[in-house]
Amino acid sequence: MVGGMTMTVAERAALLSHVTLFAGLPEASLQALAELAGEAEFGDGDAIVLQGQVGTGLFVIVAGAARVVRGGEELDRLGPGDYLGELAVIDRMPRMASVFSVGPTTCLALASWDLFRRVDGDPELVHSLLRGLAMRVRHLSEHHSH
Amino acid sequence: MAGTEELIDELSDLALFADLARPELAGVAHTLEEEWYADGQRVLREGFSGTGFYILLEGEVAVRIEGQERARLRRGAFFGEAAILLGEPPGADVVAAGRVRVVHVAGPALHEFLMRHPNVMFRMLQEQTRRLRSANRWAR
Repeated sequence: MVGGMTMTVAERAALLSHVTLFAGLPEASLQALAELAGEAEFGDGDAIVLQGQVGTGLFVIVAGAARVVRGGEELDRLGPGDYLGELAVIDRMPRMASVFSVGPTTCLALASWDLFRRVDGDPELVHSLLRGLAMRVRHLSEHHSH
Repeated sequence: MAGTEELIDELSDLALFADLARPELAGVAHTLEEEWYADGQRVLREGFSGTGFYILLEGEVAVRIEGQERARLRRGAFFGEAAILLGEPPGADVVAAGRVRVVHVAGPALHEFLMRHPNVMFRMLQEQTRRLRSANRWAR
């Protein structure tokens, strides 16, 4: 993927089907998302999203890695199949953390306006987003109780 | 027990249903089942299956995890959807604090309910986002 190679729509759809946020989406919905997704390349240390900025996109890592940083503290490491930027896309509030690429990194990027257009006519997509976020909330509360 | 018209009026005041016109709200009101709980009664049981999606209309509930109170919910709040969406038992007890009135959708009926009312689902998604932000840890 790195080096300007372009994925086919089918390859993008296959990748998206393995992202927890889109798990269980019907083929047609995956296909539509794959058609909207663009590929974005980042060099080592580039900012994929910046804390405090209003989100304009959701990213799925195709190849490479990234680190999640808030206030100078590293919170998490991400790799292929992980997603980021979904909260700001849904509520259009400022990002809560920055994410920087570690080594050359390729992402699929979904623009918020495209995602919103899809959401309007695709209840299954909203359902899968709701499920994906419910999973995150549950993991957080489990971490807090231990 | 509120009459259907009264229930529609009540629902129309809630953020969850703010995008629905009255005919759709009427459809929602017909689907929902009303329940009362006495002080101290559990609406949801941590670790137990067979639950529903609840919307709080009157009173207050306490959210408890392993016996420890984590949050209080008031009129317009909803709960129980995560367990259904994830196919897992509830992650918390939800206990009536005083007399409580709720409406609910049974677990197996939730998917169809959400598909029929995507605007309600989108409001839930926004609330879920707010919860994640306030949990304020991995959220980004």
